[in-house]
Amino acid sequence: MTAGNMTMNCEHYREAILAEPSFDGGAGHVSECAACQEYRHEMLALNETISRALAINVPELVMPELPKVETDKVVTLADRRRVSAPAWLAVAATVVIAAFLGIRFVGNGIEFDSLADEVLAHVDHEPYALRVTDEPVSQSRLASVVSGDIARMDHSAGLITYAQSCTINGHEVPHLVIQGERGPVTILLMPDETIADAIPLHDEYSNGVILPVGNGSIAIIGVRDEDLNNIEESVVKSVMWRT
Amino acid sequence: MQEANADRQRRQRFDQVVGVFHQDMYRYAAWLSRDKAIADDVVQEALLRAWKSLDALRDDAAAKPWLLTIVRRENARYFERRRLETVDIDNLTASQAALLAEQPDDNLNDMRMAIFELDDDYREPLVLQVLMGFSTNEIAEQMGLKQGAVLTRLHRARAKLKDVMDDEAVG
Repeated sequence: MTAGNMTMNCEHYREAILAEPSFDGGAGHVSECAACQEYRHEMLALNETISRALAINVPELVMPELPKVETDKVVTLADRRRVSAPAWLAVAATVVIAAFLGIRFVGNGIEFDSLADEVLAHVDHEPYALRVTDEPVSQSRLASVVSGDIARMDHSAGLITYAQSCTINGHEVPHLVIQGERGPVTILLMPDETIADAIPLHDEYSNGVILPVGNGSIAIIGVRDEDLNNIEESVVKSVMWRT
Repeated sequence: MQEANADRQRRQRFDQVVGVFHQDMYRYAAWLSRDKAIADDVVQEALLRAWKSLDALRDDAAAKPWLLTIVRRENARYFERRRLETVDIDNLTASQAALLAEQPDDNLNDMRMAIFELDDDYREPLVLQVLMGFSTNEIAEQMGLKQGAVLTRLHRARAKLKDVMDDEAVG
């Protein structure tokens, strides 16, 4: 091994072990390099101290008062396939009426006054999703988030740079981000949320809409000055519910 | 009768899941917020939210990342609601200071202070890796980052802690 190679190996090894003290990919190198053996021991000791420092005392668990959850009113994707058409229409009608009357939104958690509130709150709470980037998510990642059970989606919607399964109104939904002209645009595919008409979404920073699509709906939210017309059209065209 | 049975089973499942991961939830909340009182509030809110959306957890084996994701969101929600200022290291509140002053071991206290002072971007992946046992891939998933970015942050976090501890040892 040349001195140059040894230096490179030491650098790489130390970089790796600083990020992951359990890194064992440099076993060959470390067995021949006394300095890196020493460094490894130092890192393991440092990690042990970090671990002990992080393990603060935890107070005894005090359970909050848990409200009654009406599980019989929750319609999951799996259940939905078993629900008869009249029963499903009744559930959908309940949701639409609730939204129309502005009463609290009913799902497996009574949290928000409306679907619109929950959607906007959700977008606010995943700010790291809204990165400006030209790096697409992998095909496998997209396929795992937009699973065949939920929808079929092709790439004509735009450059998809984020894909994560999230919970909206108690249902797991694909949360995607595509790059718009003015910035990242959030897409929530909600096959279980039936709405009668489009719901506009506006706040100080955002401009968006929840569109009725078949028996479900799709939320599309961009920055305030984003023109969403083309995006709405391409997203709606690219999605086909599978349930 | 059947409904009562279902409710009981649901509650049993919840108690089981929370019983196993409550400590992780609290510690994660405490290191995210750097404040034990806030951690208390965040965990309470997270427990309520977890209870309401328990049916979304299809596999109990995935309970830990699921609960920690809820804690992460509740923490963000908490800070958003209150628009809290960043922590002033020289003027810690009692519940912030409580996070630091627990051990008679000076070395451990120095380390705890060094972790406390790390940027959020560096502290969080470190907590997830060291305390929660997450792989870099899982941390990337949890934080919505690329794996390379996680490795960089972990590398910088440890390098910084090492520098601080080396300085303390010399000083």
